[in-house]
Amino acid sequence: MIKVENLVKQYGDFRAVDDLSFEVEKGEILGFLGPNGAGKSTTMNMITGYNSATEGNVTINGFNVYDEPEKAKRCIGYLPEIPPVYPDMRVKEYLFFCSQLKEVPRKERKAEVDRVMDLLHVTHMQNKLIKHLSKGYRQRVGLAQALIGNPEVLILDEPTVGLDPMQITWMRELIRSLGREHTIILSSHILFEVNAVCDRVLIINHGKKIVIDTPENIIRTLGGTSGIRIVVDADREKFGRSISKLGNVSQWDELEENPGEGLHAYSVYFSDEAENRARLFRLCAADSLTLYEMNAIQKTLEDVFIEMTGKEDSAC
Amino acid sequence: MLAIYKKELRAYFTSLIGYLFVAFLLVFVGVFQYRHNLVNGYANFAYAVNSTTTFFLLLVPMLTMRILAEEKKQRTDQLIFTSPVSIERIILGKYFALITVFAIAVVIICIYPPVLHNYGATNYAIAYTTIAAFFLLGCTYMAIGMFISALTESQVFAAVLTFMVILFTLMLDMLVEMLPTGHMLALVVLLIIAFVIAVITYVMMKNKIVTVVTALVLVGGLVGAYCYDSLMFDGSLAKVFGWLSINSRFQLFKYGICNISSYIYYLSLCVLFVFLTIQAIKKRRWEA
Repeated sequence: MIKVENLVKQYGDFRAVDDLSFEVEKGEILGFLGPNGAGKSTTMNMITGYNSATEGNVTINGFNVYDEPEKAKRCIGYLPEIPPVYPDMRVKEYLFFCSQLKEVPRKERKAEVDRVMDLLHVTHMQNKLIKHLSKGYRQRVGLAQALIGNPEVLILDEPTVGLDPMQITWMRELIRSLGREHTIILSSHILFEVNAVCDRVLIINHGKKIVIDTPENIIRTLGGTSGIRIVVDADREKFGRSISKLGNVSQWDELEENPGEGLHAYSVYFSDEAENRARLFRLCAADSLTLYEMNAIQKTLEDVFIEMTGKEDSAC
Repeated sequence: MLAIYKKELRAYFTSLIGYLFVAFLLVFVGVFQYRHNLVNGYANFAYAVNSTTTFFLLLVPMLTMRILAEEKKQRTDQLIFTSPVSIERIILGKYFALITVFAIAVVIICIYPPVLHNYGATNYAIAYTTIAAFFLLGCTYMAIGMFISALTESQVFAAVLTFMVILFTLMLDMLVEMLPTGHMLALVVLLIIAFVIAVITYVMMKNKIVTVVTALVLVGGLVGAYCYDSLMFDGSLAKVFGWLSINSRFQLFKYGICNISSYIYYLSLCVLFVFLTIQAIKKRRWEA
């Protein structure tokens, strides 16, 4: 559906996007992840045809964005970083203008505007001037604009920035439901969001692709083996004596947290993926350590992300 | 194109700008009509229109400063330039909206000659050929203003620069009179202009080869022509600047000299600056 090939954007001596290639399948939600200034917005501006690429090609639904811009742009709904709204227009008037701009047939315009206003819950705001709307509502009007004409591809640049927690949850639900009918590229620097919404994740840094895969696979292949967090009533020395009896412990340490009076929390990592929780439990019972808590330490996308982009930074 | 056109027209008439433009233009025409035709008793309405042209200086930037600069500032250009409407059609839509606001005022001005006719003999031919030239002159300034608005995201900067450019074209007649006529000096000044053009080429294109070729062609042409016949350069500066003098062509209409070439001159400038606006926007896509 979306095919990006060897995309390069050069500003003088600075390469904002460096040889980026990826594909997005129909009906897929791709999370586009990277620290600020990694080239996310630049890439999105090139995919939507707002900016030209120095090198490379973007194909949307079989149409090259630079050779057949009108046909390609017809398939795209774009919500840029800052919602492209006219402050002096009323919500309904603005969306009606967008429906004309996107060449929705004259007879369907009214129904289309009503449909997107209903979907984004802005119907009760339709006669307000956009400059009087809050940031959250402006963002909704911006997304409503992207949905007009029901384009097959949605490009959303940080759609949840500036929303309150309630609106963020609602927005994520909406994006997920849109993902059933649309192909979506969603940029974000919030990892939880990408994890919760996206089918696949593309991580970029300094304009270069670092990895593209499902969130689970990225965590599994790059996160290493998972460990166990345990809370017992033994101090460091006593716990150390006990834990050394287990042969397959690769690493353990006391965690900097305060689980309670006389209690200590430890992280334990194992060299194999065997069922270590049962062995740990039996060990505590044998050495009369009282076990208060035990849970798996899940490496999050966040850890992976910091690890990977951090590595890149130190390499430079 | 229609969507953009309607949107711009609505923007001018939901804010005060459109009404202010039409009102001010009519006030100026009214004041000069009163002075020339009623107080001084000339039967030629063209004098009133002629005096009004100076005020394009204030009126044109008022209308053109926001036309593209505002879109860039508000980032709404990301909406219109990613819509399935080509850049050419977007710019044309905007230009036609500008012209339409101006045309509203011009249509009202067209009522004056028949009204004046009640009080004596008015020459309709002179009046309407002058009004037509007035309209085209306004359209030319609008195209220049729109081009300048495409270069920046600051409306203030666009307004000031448009003001300066129109002021320069108005002062050009005066400047031309003061220019030296000697052929040696003319060559020097033309060579300086060639150098400036080469520098602008480099700034716009950042391409050394194109710049050097442009400079060589211009300098070579000038020096070659000078060696061939140096007398050709006598008074050439006045001629070159005379071509640029948008306003001086207008001065003849009020005497009843209707020069078709002047109409064509204005139309060509409109086309040129609309084209340059489109190129400026396309260039921005490469840089930003």
